[in-house]
Amino acid sequence: MNVNFFKHIIIPPPTPRIYARLGYSQSKTKLNQQQKDEIEKYIQEALTFIELKGSAIRIPINKINKSKTTLQKGIIFKSKDLVKLFANSKEILIMGATAGNNIMKAIKDNSRQKDLTRAVIFDAVASEIVDDVLPWIINYYNRELARENKHLTKRRFSAGYGDFALENQKTIYNTLKMKQLGVTLTKNYILIPEKSVTAVAGIEISS
Amino acid sequence: MKNIKNLLKKRILILDGATGTELQKRGMPQGVCPELWCLKNPKVIQAIHKDYKKAGSDIVYTCTFGANRIKLAQYGKHNIRQVNEKLAVLARRAVGKGTFVAGDIGPTGKFVEPFGSLKFEEAVNIFKEQAQGLLEGGVDLFIIETIMDIQEARAALIAVKELTDKFTIVTMTYEKSGKTLNGTDPVTALITLQSLGADAVGCNCSTGPEYMLDFIKLMKPYAKVPLVAKPNAGMPKLIKGATTFDMGTKEFAFHTKKFVSSGVNLLGGCCGTTPAHIKELKNRVKKLKPIAPKRESISALSSARKSIILEGRKSLVVVGESINPTGKKALREELKKGKTSLVRQLAKDQELKGATILDVNVGVGGLDEVKTIRNVINLLSVNTGLPLVIDSSNINAIEEALRLYPGRALINSISGEKTKLKRLLPLAKKYGAMFILLPLGQKDIPKTFQKRKDNITAIFKEAKKFGFTRKDIVVDGLTLAVSSVPNSGIETLKTVSWCARTFKVNTILGLSNISFGLPNRPLINAIFLAIAEANGLSMAIINPSIKEVINTTSKLDIKKAKDVLLNKDKDAKAYISHIAKTPSIKRDTKQTLSSEEKVSTAIIEGNRDDIKEFVAQAIKSGISPNNLVHEVMIPAINKVGDLFDKKEYFLPQLIAGAEAMKIGFQYLEPHLKKEGLTQQKKTVVILATVKGDIHDIGKNIVALMLKNHGFNVIDLGKDVSTEKIIQAIKKHKAPIVGLSALMTTTMVNMKEVIQKAKKEKLNCRFIVGGAVVTKSYAQSIGAEYSKDGVEAVRVVKRLRG
Repeated sequence: MNVNFFKHIIIPPPTPRIYARLGYSQSKTKLNQQQKDEIEKYIQEALTFIELKGSAIRIPINKINKSKTTLQKGIIFKSKDLVKLFANSKEILIMGATAGNNIMKAIKDNSRQKDLTRAVIFDAVASEIVDDVLPWIINYYNRELARENKHLTKRRFSAGYGDFALENQKTIYNTLKMKQLGVTLTKNYILIPEKSVTAVAGIEISS
Repeated sequence: MKNIKNLLKKRILILDGATGTELQKRGMPQGVCPELWCLKNPKVIQAIHKDYKKAGSDIVYTCTFGANRIKLAQYGKHNIRQVNEKLAVLARRAVGKGTFVAGDIGPTGKFVEPFGSLKFEEAVNIFKEQAQGLLEGGVDLFIIETIMDIQEARAALIAVKELTDKFTIVTMTYEKSGKTLNGTDPVTALITLQSLGADAVGCNCSTGPEYMLDFIKLMKPYAKVPLVAKPNAGMPKLIKGATTFDMGTKEFAFHTKKFVSSGVNLLGGCCGTTPAHIKELKNRVKKLKPIAPKRESISALSSARKSIILEGRKSLVVVGESINPTGKKALREELKKGKTSLVRQLAKDQELKGATILDVNVGVGGLDEVKTIRNVINLLSVNTGLPLVIDSSNINAIEEALRLYPGRALINSISGEKTKLKRLLPLAKKYGAMFILLPLGQKDIPKTFQKRKDNITAIFKEAKKFGFTRKDIVVDGLTLAVSSVPNSGIETLKTVSWCARTFKVNTILGLSNISFGLPNRPLINAIFLAIAEANGLSMAIINPSIKEVINTTSKLDIKKAKDVLLNKDKDAKAYISHIAKTPSIKRDTKQTLSSEEKVSTAIIEGNRDDIKEFVAQAIKSGISPNNLVHEVMIPAINKVGDLFDKKEYFLPQLIAGAEAMKIGFQYLEPHLKKEGLTQQKKTVVILATVKGDIHDIGKNIVALMLKNHGFNVIDLGKDVSTEKIIQAIKKHKAPIVGLSALMTTTMVNMKEVIQKAKKEKLNCRFIVGGAVVTKSYAQSIGAEYSKDGVEAVRVVKRLRG
């Protein structure tokens, strides 16, 4: 039951989603070659600042009642949504990921140096790519679990969604040792750098 | 038992099918460790081995996929060697003679340095421990399988090869996208693994036969080893909580003929396959002849996620030269402090400028080069996809780099110096690296082509003893300064030409030496590069921007530089005099547009580089600053807004236009002041991202847009408390306040600000926005709403009245 650290996760940039996030419409938006080159250049530049890292841990469930899941290591999650999610699980996966501090510094620096175009593209690349990290971790664990005839639940939950209170971020953060990924947690339970995510999913036996 | 390599020349070898699913079918309960369960139930696993043998498997895998220290630790403490030995013995006894037993090594479940937290040497030791047990159990060969991290595959392969020379297969597992989860494609994995000593390479698990067929087709042209495919019985599907592989035996074996004609040499089945699937495969390959690997060697380099094939390339391979502390004080200082951010930056810059490969040299006096190169290799392995050249005179540093580097590297360099030959050739062989052959003998630098040629053939003769071919080497043509050795350019070109056309090897030049001591060195370098390319040069260690020099150089400049390089200009006198007389080249900006049109176009197209110049031109041509603002620039930025509204522009274009406008406006401000046009009072707008929220990019866009429309924006930043916003409203007597929030949890703080303002009877209007904010929410808290920067300008203008 150790935390598994993924120090450098390599994911191709989800280019169509990056463009879509920036409001690109395939049928309407018109770009000249210079603009295209500039945007592509900034996407590539953003990638050089992004350092995708993650950590994950499998933890057995000790007990589930109507509104509370008690895990080993003394972890308790009070949430009916989670109870539902873990209905067929004896174990769960807690996972977290970040795009790193360098990209956030680059976004900040570019905003300050008044190169907001670059900053906005950097921001879109980081936001979209970090969204792919948890599916990457899930894919990784599903491969591992397949050999044990197990799989992860299709749904996952993040703190702050449904009745799974944002305060649980602290437990998740500590359990995943996210400090080692360079992530900090504010007193309002916000992960810094802001392009950081966490979630929990159930591990079920494939019957 | 016949040698596997010989058998592979004659026929397709059949591997076994799935073990895990068979064990479950035959009674293994859920949640147990398969390896330990098999030790307690030996008859079950032996029956599976026997069934596969009976079905036609030439090779069966030991049930040791997860029998490594990390995986077995989940089930208590165990003697790893013994577990592996016993399971290997069970397999051997089950199949007897006539069927090969492959010691099966699976992943540890941890990513290996530099991709994960498992140290590389620890990974090697973990695999060595497992392989040792399998050897003691009498396996005939090894199979390293289902690997998604190329570095883990390397660690396992090195572990096995350091113990034994037994036939070793490595199979990676690829996504449907054609890459491992860690981003390695089949050709890159093949180049890395076959050069590192894998006797067969391929893929298993993840996909069904159809996708895997494509991977085999991709690999075959570059393979010098037999290829392996062990697909699942289709793609796994999760049906009612059960992982299902629904491909029947005939459907599974349907692609057999195509697999063989595409070049597969070993074929089996992974998850969901059964002895019946294997039997069907066996029947279908009986009459099919294998296609032997097409080549004995390959000129190719790889990183963890990219490969560069050097053969048959039409374009020059640009080897970025910047990661070298010689003459770079800042880099030297950084490396001494153990820092690497500048290295990262240099790698990034060169990659963006078009380098194909990066040269890495961290040799600094008084520095622990072994430790430094380790840090730098780890950094670059993940931060660039470009393959690396390990450039060092320190043999230990080269060894450290080669062992750790998750690809096939190029060593820079091996000369005829005896110690280097003796130590570096075996190292290059062990780690499968290519190397730059530096035609230096034992003593001085050979100045003539003939002497260089003698050295090249002598060094290559030694390399051949280790099995190197011409494809494994790149010859350095040796570049000396023409300012001190006038004929050296010609001798270098002769060497390059002979290597490329007669000796038929790749060639490389460390280009910048050639221009040492001359003015306008980039010009000399660029021209020499062009001549060398015409003589067959395939690679150059250069500044990647050099090619741009030629494009901006006059024919006369080129001729003068050529004369120096070909020793037609004694002491480079004519060249030096020409350069002294030539004014620097200025970019031609002649355009047919009027000054106003240029300004307008620059804003509409977001041209921030030239707007200032265009505005200056417009003022110079007599247009009044006031007219330029109101008749040219504001209509232009309004047009950008319209295009954005129609979705003909998207966000980057909107912002680029706004930034261009702002730069132009800043330039105009002193001129407007002169005309007394900035005296009229601007409306103050306060902007803030509310308490608890750290997202501010949307708010920054709104600020930029409002400033461009003549508002006095006071931006309070992010995570701003209610009290601070209220104070600012009072201080600036702001009539309009914009609040931003991205999260549902912080959105509520907008309401708090508005209520507090009401309570204090502040006469201001609010506008809110942000990802989760809606129009109805805005209305519910008594605020206006805008979905983006363009709408925010409209709303604020309306509020101003």
